[in-house]
Amino acid sequence: MATVNNNGPNQDSNPNTNTVASAKQTIPVAKTVDTQSVLKRLQSELMALMMSGDAGISAFPEEDNIFCWKGTISGSKDTVFEGTEYKLSLSFPSDYPFKAPKVKFETTCFHPNVDLHGNICLDILQDKWSSAYDVRTILLSVQSLLGEPNTSSPLNNQAAALWGNQEEYRKMVEKLYKPIA
Amino acid sequence: MEESSSSMCNFSVLESMNEKSIGEMEDSWNAFCLATEALHGGDGDLSFASDFVAHVRVLCSLGLESLIVEHFLCSMEETFEKNGASKFWKHFDAYTNPAVLEMDDADQQQELQDVLHRALEELSSEKQYQEKCLLMLVHALDMCRQSKSKEQTYSDAERNHLFSKYQLTVFSVLMASLPRHFPDVLHCYFKGRLEELSAMMATNCENENGLQENDGMDLDYKGREMDIDETHHQIANLGNNKLIRNIGVVVRDLRNLGFTSMAEDAYASAIFLLLKAKVHELAGDEFRFSILESIKGWIQAVPLQFLHALLAYLGDSKSNEIPASGQKSPLASHPSSRYYRTGTPPEGLVRWQLRLEYFAYETLQDLRIAKLFEIIVDYPDSSPAVEDLKQCLEYTGQHSKLVDSFIAALKYRLLTAGASTTDILHQYVSTIKALRTIDPAGVFLEAVGEPIREYLRGRKDTIKCIVTMLTDGAGGNPSGPGNTGDSLLEELNRDEENQENSSLDDDVNTDDKQTWINAQNWEPDPVEADPLKGGRHRRKVDILGMIVGIIGSKDQLVNEYRVMLAEKLLNKSDYDIDSEIRTLELLKIHFGESSMQKCEIMLNDLIDSKRTNTNIKATIKQQSQPVPDIGDEGLSLADLNATIISSNFWPPIQDEPLNIPGAVDQLLSDYANKFNEIKTPRKLLWKKNLGTVKLELQFEDRTLQFSVTPLHASIISQFQDQTSWTSKDLAAAVGVPVDILNRRIYFWINKGILAESVQDSGDHKFTLVDVLVEDGRTGVNNGGCEELLARDEDGESSVASVEDQLRKEMTVYEKFITGMLTNFGSMALDRIHNTLKMFCIGDPPYDKSLQQLQSFLGGLVAEERLELRDGMYFLKK
Repeated sequence: MATVNNNGPNQDSNPNTNTVASAKQTIPVAKTVDTQSVLKRLQSELMALMMSGDAGISAFPEEDNIFCWKGTISGSKDTVFEGTEYKLSLSFPSDYPFKAPKVKFETTCFHPNVDLHGNICLDILQDKWSSAYDVRTILLSVQSLLGEPNTSSPLNNQAAALWGNQEEYRKMVEKLYKPIA
Repeated sequence: MEESSSSMCNFSVLESMNEKSIGEMEDSWNAFCLATEALHGGDGDLSFASDFVAHVRVLCSLGLESLIVEHFLCSMEETFEKNGASKFWKHFDAYTNPAVLEMDDADQQQELQDVLHRALEELSSEKQYQEKCLLMLVHALDMCRQSKSKEQTYSDAERNHLFSKYQLTVFSVLMASLPRHFPDVLHCYFKGRLEELSAMMATNCENENGLQENDGMDLDYKGREMDIDETHHQIANLGNNKLIRNIGVVVRDLRNLGFTSMAEDAYASAIFLLLKAKVHELAGDEFRFSILESIKGWIQAVPLQFLHALLAYLGDSKSNEIPASGQKSPLASHPSSRYYRTGTPPEGLVRWQLRLEYFAYETLQDLRIAKLFEIIVDYPDSSPAVEDLKQCLEYTGQHSKLVDSFIAALKYRLLTAGASTTDILHQYVSTIKALRTIDPAGVFLEAVGEPIREYLRGRKDTIKCIVTMLTDGAGGNPSGPGNTGDSLLEELNRDEENQENSSLDDDVNTDDKQTWINAQNWEPDPVEADPLKGGRHRRKVDILGMIVGIIGSKDQLVNEYRVMLAEKLLNKSDYDIDSEIRTLELLKIHFGESSMQKCEIMLNDLIDSKRTNTNIKATIKQQSQPVPDIGDEGLSLADLNATIISSNFWPPIQDEPLNIPGAVDQLLSDYANKFNEIKTPRKLLWKKNLGTVKLELQFEDRTLQFSVTPLHASIISQFQDQTSWTSKDLAAAVGVPVDILNRRIYFWINKGILAESVQDSGDHKFTLVDVLVEDGRTGVNNGGCEELLARDEDGESSVASVEDQLRKEMTVYEKFITGMLTNFGSMALDRIHNTLKMFCIGDPPYDKSLQQLQSFLGGLVAEERLELRDGMYFLKK
C-alpha cells in the first residue's frame, strides 16, 4: 500500500517508465512485488470470471499483456439492445485495483451514456470506483447500463432524447449496429 | 598381278580371254559346281576330293577364286538349311505346346533330354562335315596359290574370315528359322538337369557328412569362405560325372551353333528359378532358425558347383568356338578358358557367386518382409529370422521396402478397432526390439513406429494399459491370455539386471545402493547411438523411452501409475508391499526420483501404517486388558487394521457417505482416539467407504466367509436384526442413495444370501434367505468359502481415475477457451495453446501438449461446441 502512495504522481504512465522513474528512489523491489500482486489479482479475476459462467458477459486478456483485456457483452433480453453484441476494451492501471480500469466500447454503441468514441459515463468507473469491484462486476454494470441509461447526464444527447420512444430507439440501434467481425 | 586384282575385275579378265579358254573355263566351272554339290550332299565320302581340288585349281588360275568361295558358301548354306536346320527344328516339333514342357514327369524329362542330345549331335556332325569341306576348299586354294608363287599362301586371317563367315551363316540360318518355343525347351532342359544335380548333391552331402540331421539339404556347414580348393576337390568327384558332361556337351554344341547367349539365359534362369524355389522351401513359415547360411551353403554346393564343372569342361574341351562378341549377353559369364588354365579362380565364377547371393538375399528379404508382421508377433522366438533379414537388408539396402510393407501390414492387421490396446502395445514392443536389431540407427523404427504411436494416442486406455503392463506384467486385461513373456515389467527388470551386470562390482548385497546409483546415472539414449559399439557396454534397447514417447510426457504415465498404486494399496489388508516397492524402485530409475516422490510417500504411508497399527494394538493390550470386548459381537481392536494415508499426496479419493454398524463405528473412533494419543496433535479421519471387511455369516445350517467392501458389509449387517427390508428403508439405514444400494446389493443376491421381490408399490424388497435352497443357482458350498474381493466386480473404484481428473481439468480449459474465443472471434491452435499457457495458471496449471489440446479441441468440435475452419477455431453459434 505504501508503494502505491509513493508512486502516486506517476500512476497514469505505464509500469515500465514507472520503474525507471522510481529507480532513483531505491524502491524498485517493492515495485516489482507490487506488479506481481496486480498480476496475481488480474489472474484470479480471470479465473473467477471464467468459472462464473455468467451469460452475456465475457472478457479475456490480450495475447501477451494481462493489463489489456478485450471484453464482450451482449444486450440483455427485453431491452432495445437484445440480440446485439458489443466489444469492449479494458485497460488496467499498474496500481489496479486501487484505480479503476479504463473501459471503452470498441463497437459503436448508440446509448445515452456512451459517446461516439466509445467512452462510457458510469459512476463506478469514475468517482465511485472501489477496489472491491472486479472485471465481472464492471461487465455486469455495463451490461445493465445498456438497459437502464442515466438520461439526466447524457454523453449522447440524441440517444437520450430518443430513449423515450423505445420502438424508434430500437430501429436506431439496429441501424447503427456494426458488429466487429 | 592378275590374281591379286581378280576379285574386282572378273569381267575384264573375261574380255581378255579367247573363245577356247572360255569354253575351258565353262567346263571347269560346271565340273566344280557338280563336285561341290556332290561334296555337300555326300555322306562323308571324299573320294572325289582330288577332282574337286583339280577343278578349283583350274578356276583359280583363271582368277575366279572369289567366285568359287562365294559359290561354295552359298551352296553350303543351302545344304545346311535343307539338311541341318530344318531337320534340327523338326526334333522339337513335339514341344510347340508349352503345356507339354510344363509337365513334370520323369519320362517327359528323359525324352526331352534325349531329343535335345540327338538333335544337337546330328546338327553338330552336319556342321563338322561342312567345316571339313570348307577346310578342303581352303586347302585347295592354298595349294594353287603356292603353285603360283612361293611366297603367297592362304593367310590365317583370310582363313579365319572364311570360317567366321561360315559360322555367321550357320547362326543366321538357325536364327531365321528359330521356332518360338526353343528357348523354353532349353530352359526346361536345364531346369530338369539342375534339379537332378541338386538332388545328387544332396545325397552326396548326406553320404559325406553323416552328421547332417536335417533333410540333407541343410548344408550350412559350408561357410561362405569355402575355398576354391575344396571346390576343386568336389569337382574331382564330379569331373567324370556323366551328368555334367552331358550338360557340357549340350552347352558346347549350342555355343558352336552360336546360341551362346541363349544357352546362358536358359541355364541362368533355371538356376535362379531353382534358387528361388530353394529359398522358399527353406524359409517357408519357419522363423525359428536362421537359413541364410544354409542358402549360401546350397549356392556353393549346387549352382556354383554346376557352373564350375561346366566352365571346367568347356575350358578343357577343345573348343573351336569363335567368339561371337555380338551375341555375348551382358549376363553371360563368358568362360574364359585362359583364366582357368592358369589356375586362378575363374572370374566368371566369382561373379556368378555374387549374383546368386544377391539374388538369394533379395528373395529371402522379400519373403521375410512380406511376413514381417508374423515374425514380429513371434518375436523373441523368431529372432533368427530377424537376423537373416538384417543381413539381407545390409546387402541389398532396400530398407524402404520394409517400411512401406510393414506399415501397410500394421494398418491392415493391427491398428483396427478389434485389436486390444494391450496387444498393440505388445506388438509395438516387439517391433521396437526387432527393428532395433535390423536398423540400429532407429530411423526406420521411427517411421514404422509413428503410425502405431499415432493410433495409440487416440485410444483412451493406452496409458492404463502401459501402466498395467509396467506393474503387473500380466497385460491389461487380467482375464485374457497374459503374455507375460515380454511384459514391460520384465523389461524393467532386464534393464536393471543389465546395468547391474555391467557395473564394476557385482555385489549382490549392494542392490539398493546400485539402484540408487543407476537412478542417478540414467540417461535417455541418443537415437544415433551405435549398438555395436563396445561389446560389454552394449546399449540396451530403450523400450520404455519409446513407450513413454507414445504418451508424450512421463507425467501422465506417473499419474496413472499413482492412481493404480493407490487403488492397489487401499485394497491391501496385510501391508505387504514388497513387490510395489520393487516396481517403484525400477520406475524411479527410469522416470527419476522427483517424479515418483508422491508414490514413494504413498508407500511410506503403508509402512508407517503398519508400525502405527502395531503400536496402537500394543498400547491396547497393555492398558485395557481388563476391559471387556467392545461390542457384543466379539469385535475387538485386534480385528482392525488401519491404513493411514497422507491424503495430500494421494490421488483424490472417492468419498461416499456410509453408515456403518454402531459397534464398528465405535471401534473406529476408539482407534482414532488411540491414534490421537500416540500421535498428538494429529487426528485420524476415517474414509469409511474404503477398505476390506472380512466377515463370517452364520446361518442355522451353514457358515460362510466373505471379504467384501464396507458397503457390502454394512448392507448385510442390517439384516442381522431385521430379516426383510425395502430398498428405500435399507438405503436410508446404510446411508447411501437407493440406486447405489440396488447396484451393490446384487452381490448378496447373487450369492444366494438375500432374495429380492418387487412389491406392489414398485419398491424392491430384500429378504434374508435363512435356509439354503438347493436350486443349483447359488453354487455356494457348505462350510467356509473364501470369496475374492467383490469390489472389482462392478467396476467401482475407490480412487478417482486419471480420466476423471483429466475431465475436470479440461472443463476449466474449456471455459478459458470459450472465454478467449468469445472475445477474439477466431484463434489458431498455436495461439490457443500459448494463451492457455500464459493465463491458465490456476491449480492445476495448464500443462498439456499441443497434441493433447488439439485432440481436446477436436472433441469440442465433434460435440458441435466449436467450429474449425481453415485452421482457425470458432465458437459454434
